[in-house]
Amino acid sequence: MRTTITLLAIILLSLTTLAQTKYEKGMRKAFDLWEANEAMEAANIFERIAQAETNNWLPPYYAAQVNVFASFSEKDEAKLIPQLKKAQDLVNDAKAISKDNAEILVLEAQLLTAWIVYDGQKYGMKYSGKISELYTKAAQVAPDNPRVVLGKAEWDMGAAKWFGKSTEPYCDDVKRAIELFATFTPEGEFHPKGGLDHAQEVLAENCNK
Amino acid sequence: MLRSIHLVVLVITLFFFGIVTAQETISGVVLQKNGTPIFGANVYLEGTYDGASTDEEGKFSFTTEEKGIQTLVISYVTYEPFMMAADVSQLSDLKLTLKEDFNSLDTVVISAGSLEASDNSKVSVLKPLDVVTTASALGDFVGALQTLPGTTTVAEDGRLFVRGGDAGETQIFIDGIRVFSPYTPTANNTPTRGRYSPFLFDGITFSTGGYSAEYGQALSSVLLLNTIDEPDQEKTEIALMTLGGGIGNTQKWEKSSLSVNTSYINLAPYVAAFPNRNDFEKPFESISGETVFRRQFDTGIFKLYAAFDTTNFELTQEDINLAEGVNFKLKNNNFYTNASYQGDLGRTWKLQTGGSFTSSNTNLGIIDDNINNTENSFHFKLKLKKRFSNQIKLSFGAEQFLTDFTEDFDNQSVSASYGYNNNISAAFAETDVIFTKKFALKAGVRGEYSELFEQFTVSPRASIAYKTGKNSQLSVAYGDFYQQPTQDILKFQQNLEAQKTQHYILNYQYVANNRIFRAEAYRKQYDNLITFDTEFAGFESNYTNNGDGFAQGIDFFWRDNETIRNMDYWVSYSLLDTERLYQNYPTTATPSFANTHNLSVVTKYWVEDWKSQLGFSYQFGSGRTYTNPNNPGFLQEKTKDFNNLSFNWAYLIDQQKILYFSVNNVLGFSNVNGYQYASTADANGNFNRRALLPATDQFFFVGFFWTISEDGSDNQLDKL
Repeated sequence: MRTTITLLAIILLSLTTLAQTKYEKGMRKAFDLWEANEAMEAANIFERIAQAETNNWLPPYYAAQVNVFASFSEKDEAKLIPQLKKAQDLVNDAKAISKDNAEILVLEAQLLTAWIVYDGQKYGMKYSGKISELYTKAAQVAPDNPRVVLGKAEWDMGAAKWFGKSTEPYCDDVKRAIELFATFTPEGEFHPKGGLDHAQEVLAENCNK
Repeated sequence: MLRSIHLVVLVITLFFFGIVTAQETISGVVLQKNGTPIFGANVYLEGTYDGASTDEEGKFSFTTEEKGIQTLVISYVTYEPFMMAADVSQLSDLKLTLKEDFNSLDTVVISAGSLEASDNSKVSVLKPLDVVTTASALGDFVGALQTLPGTTTVAEDGRLFVRGGDAGETQIFIDGIRVFSPYTPTANNTPTRGRYSPFLFDGITFSTGGYSAEYGQALSSVLLLNTIDEPDQEKTEIALMTLGGGIGNTQKWEKSSLSVNTSYINLAPYVAAFPNRNDFEKPFESISGETVFRRQFDTGIFKLYAAFDTTNFELTQEDINLAEGVNFKLKNNNFYTNASYQGDLGRTWKLQTGGSFTSSNTNLGIIDDNINNTENSFHFKLKLKKRFSNQIKLSFGAEQFLTDFTEDFDNQSVSASYGYNNNISAAFAETDVIFTKKFALKAGVRGEYSELFEQFTVSPRASIAYKTGKNSQLSVAYGDFYQQPTQDILKFQQNLEAQKTQHYILNYQYVANNRIFRAEAYRKQYDNLITFDTEFAGFESNYTNNGDGFAQGIDFFWRDNETIRNMDYWVSYSLLDTERLYQNYPTTATPSFANTHNLSVVTKYWVEDWKSQLGFSYQFGSGRTYTNPNNPGFLQEKTKDFNNLSFNWAYLIDQQKILYFSVNNVLGFSNVNGYQYASTADANGNFNRRALLPATDQFFFVGFFWTISEDGSDNQLDKL
C-alpha cells in the first residue's frame, strides 16, 4: 500500500511537472526555431506563451527582442514602424511584470536605437537622451551585468565615432563585459545569457588597432 | 498487492493517455480581404499554449486539450486582431479574413490645409529639428513656418500671414488651449518672435485652412503646438549668445518632471558694435522665464505650463512728417499659464481638458501720448473622444473664452479710460469615418455665441480624402470660419458682428522614399469685414461690417532627403491673388501685407569631417503694394522684390558643446518694406516719401550651447 501511495505521489508530481514542462517545452521550441533562423515563428511562440503566462517577464521580453533585432535590417517603413510599435508594446508588458529590470531597460534602449538607425535625423533628437538615461538606470540597477556594460559601451562608442572621437576609452568597458560574461550565471534556464560573441565582435572591430 | 499496483499504474497511464488523445484539431486558413493568404500570422487559443503560425498558403493547424467554449485569436502586424469565441469542436476548417488595421501607415489621411512638423511620417512636412535648424529662423518656430507654402513674407513684422489674411487671422494653441498674446512686442520695423522656446514642443501642426471644428476665432489659420510629454533626462543647459544668455534645468522623478528655463536678452552691446537705423535711447531688453511640470497617471497625463516675460525699450524712429522723429517707448509684462489633462476614461472614451490664463500689461509712449492697457483673458475647454471602432470616431466638446480689456489714454489735452468685456461660448462636434483604407471623411460643426454681439454663429466643416495610388492622395475641404474684430477695433466700438470666411481647398499629396510633394489650390471668401471712415480707428470713426474680399491661389511644396547624400532640402512656392475692402480702404484693393509670388528654398548639408551642419535658406517675395499720393489710385504701386539669403553653421565641439553661427542676408540685399509719404505736398505739389527700411540689413548671431547631463553623455544633437 505504501508503494502505491509513493507511486501515486510520483505520478501526481510528474503530472504537475508536465504542466510546467509546457512552458519549458514552448520556450525551448522557440529558442530552437530562433537559432534555425525562423525568428518570426519563434516570436509567435513567445507571444503565445506571454499571453498564457501573465506573470513571467521572459516571454514578452524575447518576443520584443526578436522584433527589435529584425528591425535593424528592415528597410520598408510600412513594415518597420508597426514592428517597432509592437516591440514597444511587448517591452511595456515586460516592464509591467518586472519593474527596474536591467535586461528590459537594455532591450528598450536597443529598441530606441533601432528608430535612430532607421532615421537618425528624425529620431536622433527624440531618443538619444532617453537611451543614455536607460543605460544609466540599468547600470545603477545591475552594474555587473555584462549586457548592461556592453550595451552602454557600444552606445558610447557609437556617439564617440559620430563625433570623430576615439573609441579607445570604451574598450576597457567591452573587455570588462567579456570578463563578466565568463562569470555570469543566469538566474534560470531561460534568463538572458547571450552577448559574449557580440562583445568579442565589438572588441575586434573597435579596439586593438 | 503487486497486482493492484500494476492495476493502478495501468489505470493512471490509460487515464493520462486518455487526456492526451482526447484532443481537438483546430485548423483553417487566414486570408486578406482580396483572398491573398497571410503568411506568419499568430493563431492561438486565448490564455493557453495551444497555437501555430500560418504557412505560405495561410493555413494553420494545431491540437488542443481544451474543452468547451474557447476564444480563438489571430494576430498579425498591420491587421486588426481577430477574435472568435466558439466550442473547440467547431474550430476546424475555418476560413477567416483579417481586416486591415486603419491605423496603419498606408491608410489615407486628411491632409487638406494642414502641414505638420512631427514624427508622424504620414503627414509630416517638417521634422521637429527643422524648427531650430532652418537658417533664416534664428531658433524661432514662427520663422521656420515662414518657409512653408501659404505664408507671405512680411519681413518687418515677423508674424504669420497666411493666404492673404492679416496676422490677426491666425490663432495659436498650446496643448489645445488658446494663447492670447503669442508674440513678443517690438518696434515698428523690427520683426517679432514667438514667445515660447521651440525645445518645449515635439509636435507642431500648421493649418493654412479648412481646419477642424475644434478650433474657432481664426479666419485664416491655426497653429497647434504640443508640449513634450516626458523630458528625456535630467540636465542643465547653458546658453551664451551675442544677445544675452540663458540657463535651464530639468529634474525627473518616478512619475513627474519639472523643467525651468530663464533667459536674458539685451541688445545694447550689439547695437553699440553694429549701429542700426533706429536711434535707441534704451535698447531692447527682455527677461523671461518658463516652467513646465508634468505628472503621469495610470491612465493620463497632467501638464502645467507657465511663462513670464518682461520687455522694455525706447527709441526714436525717423518720420517724414516730423524732423525730430517719433519717440517710442514700450514696457510689456506678460504672464501666461496653461494647465491640461488628457486621459482614458475606459470603454474607448478619452478626455481632454484644460484652461489657460493670460495677463498682459503694456505701457506705451508715443511722443507725448501715454497708453497703458491691460488684457486679462481666460480659456477653458473640455473635449471628449469616443472610438467606436478603428473606422469610426466621434469627438465633441465645449469651450469658454473670457476677455477683460481696459485702456487708459492720456496726453496734455485728453485723458480717457475705456475697455470692454468679451465672452464667447462655443460647442463643437466632429466625426471621423474611414470607409476603406482609400477613402476617409471628417465632418464637424461648431456653434459660437458672443455675449458682446449677442450673436450666434454656426460653422460647418467637412473634408474628404481619397487615395489615388500607393503613395498619392487627393483631399478636399470646406469650412465656414468666424472671428471677432481685433482689440484695436473692439476697444472703440462693440456694436458689431463677427467677420466671416469660407474656405474651399483641393490638395494633392505624394509621399515616398523621403520625398514629399504637395500641391494645394484654394479659394477663400471674406464677408462682414470691419470698415471705418477715418485715417485711424478711434471713437469718432463710423464702423460697419460691410467689408468683403477674396483670396485664391495655389501652393507647392517639395522636400527631398534622398537624392543627394547628407543633404536635405525643401522648396515652397505660393501664388496668391487677393483683394479686399476693409478698414479704411476707399475701394477694393490688394492689401500691403499680401504679394503675388513667394518662394522659399531651405537646404541643410551635413559635413561629416567638420562635424558641422551648414544651412542656407533663400526667400523671395514679389513686391508689396503701397499708395503713392502723387498718382491717382489706392494701393496702386508695388515695392521692388524682396530677397534674403541666410546662412548658418552649427559645429559640434563634442557631445555636450555646440557652437552656432548665423548671418541673415549674407549678400546684403537692400530690401524695402514700403514707403511713408509726407502728409502735405511740397512747393511743387509733390508728396515726398521715405523708404521703410529694415532696422538693419544684416544680422549676425553667435551662440555657444552647453548641456550638462547626469551621466555626461547627453549630446547636442537636439540643438542642431
